[in-house]
Amino acid sequence: MKHLFKPQAMKGLWSLLILLLVIKFIWFLVEILWLPTSGMEHAEEKSVKALYYRVKLSPNKAPAPTVEKKPVKVVGSIKDIILLAIYNASDVTVITVEYKKKTKVLSKGDEINGFMLEGAGSNFATFSKKSKTYKVDLFKSKKDAKSTSSIKKVPVTSPSKPVAVSKEAAGEIVDAGDHKIIDKSLFDHYAENMDDIYENIGITEVKEGKDLKGFRISFVRKGSPFAKLGVRKDDMIKSINGQEINSYNAAFNMYKNIQNAKNLTLIIIRGKEEMELEYEIN
Amino acid sequence: MQMVKNSLIAFIIAWLGILVFMPKQELYYKLEEELAKHEIKLNEEKMNEGVFSLNLKQVTVYFKGINVATIEEVNLFTLLFYSSIEVQSLTMDDSLKAMVPQEIERAVAKHSVLSSLEVSVDASGSFGSIVGNIDLNERKVHLDFNESKNIEMLKPQLKKDEKGWYYETSF
Repeated sequence: MKHLFKPQAMKGLWSLLILLLVIKFIWFLVEILWLPTSGMEHAEEKSVKALYYRVKLSPNKAPAPTVEKKPVKVVGSIKDIILLAIYNASDVTVITVEYKKKTKVLSKGDEINGFMLEGAGSNFATFSKKSKTYKVDLFKSKKDAKSTSSIKKVPVTSPSKPVAVSKEAAGEIVDAGDHKIIDKSLFDHYAENMDDIYENIGITEVKEGKDLKGFRISFVRKGSPFAKLGVRKDDMIKSINGQEINSYNAAFNMYKNIQNAKNLTLIIIRGKEEMELEYEIN
Repeated sequence: MQMVKNSLIAFIIAWLGILVFMPKQELYYKLEEELAKHEIKLNEEKMNEGVFSLNLKQVTVYFKGINVATIEEVNLFTLLFYSSIEVQSLTMDDSLKAMVPQEIERAVAKHSVLSSLEVSVDASGSFGSIVGNIDLNERKVHLDFNESKNIEMLKPQLKKDEKGWYYETSF
């Protein structure tokens, strides 16, 4: 103790304390002058996503008069139904058929031409009518379509319509007049392979100063499925299924959840015109 | 001799003082600011300041507003002449699994004054293990994939030599 209070030892101790104080003061100055006092928290967008429904309204049309339904005898053949595409999951079966040059989407239990959809396999669908079962093979042209009674394997090279079987980006986009039908396998392929998207379509950000305004299509590869979607170079993407695409997060969230979509409504701005493009996925 | 001894004590005390009084949280906020310029944001649940380190828990990484990864723990450590960043259990967002490995169990980046122009990198995860370095002078990154496992999605970006797959880029 006596030794500690030696003037020389005290001087050394004071020197060290002053040194520490100087260090603390320098750090304090650095903190005040250059360092931020709080961190940069990213506020995640928690906006409530609007419910999305596609509704077709027929304006200026008087309500249809109620007509007493009379049993109509359905006269039709299974041969009139052309099976275009099948979506078969454990809980749902949906098929796309062409009937009288019109494309229709049917789920299990739906009727067309008097035939009720019973189920589907990997390349066929089964219908029933008057307790008889009929089988329609995938992508058979009308004249070759056979019923169950004459099961015949569908040749792989046959169709005039698209085939969606391989692991590649197979599948087609069918123009159904007011909307386009995208083959589910084709859709899934692009939903899982982002790189393949960028090979076929270019999407660049549009900024106003530092703020992101939206996304513009910079190119669409000719002959690619994207070219058949009806989008063109310089189209500005405004929204998809009612969700405004005005941030990377919005775009990425859309990409993440797009696999569950059954239909898509894309709103684009072409020149000064706003356009709505509709797609059905099955 | 006494002079050398005193100087050495003063130096050690000054070194300890710099480390102990270092405003680690505020320096981390500055790092966050710099990262934000490159549209990278970090959200952390917990932050613990140690004598020589700063420990972050449950860090969410955002790039351009997109949640790209979550990290269980990040440890920033410095002795001034030796510094390291250790990342434990980094999980990439599910939607990026087609582009990058899903999990990094542990990744460490070390810098030492002995090789001041180099940062050594060591990582292990679902891709196997990586050893490499960042050359600060030549602004180059070289990573060697040892015991490469699930790196199919990375192969378009990788090169191969007699030692195996490696990644090289400059910045």
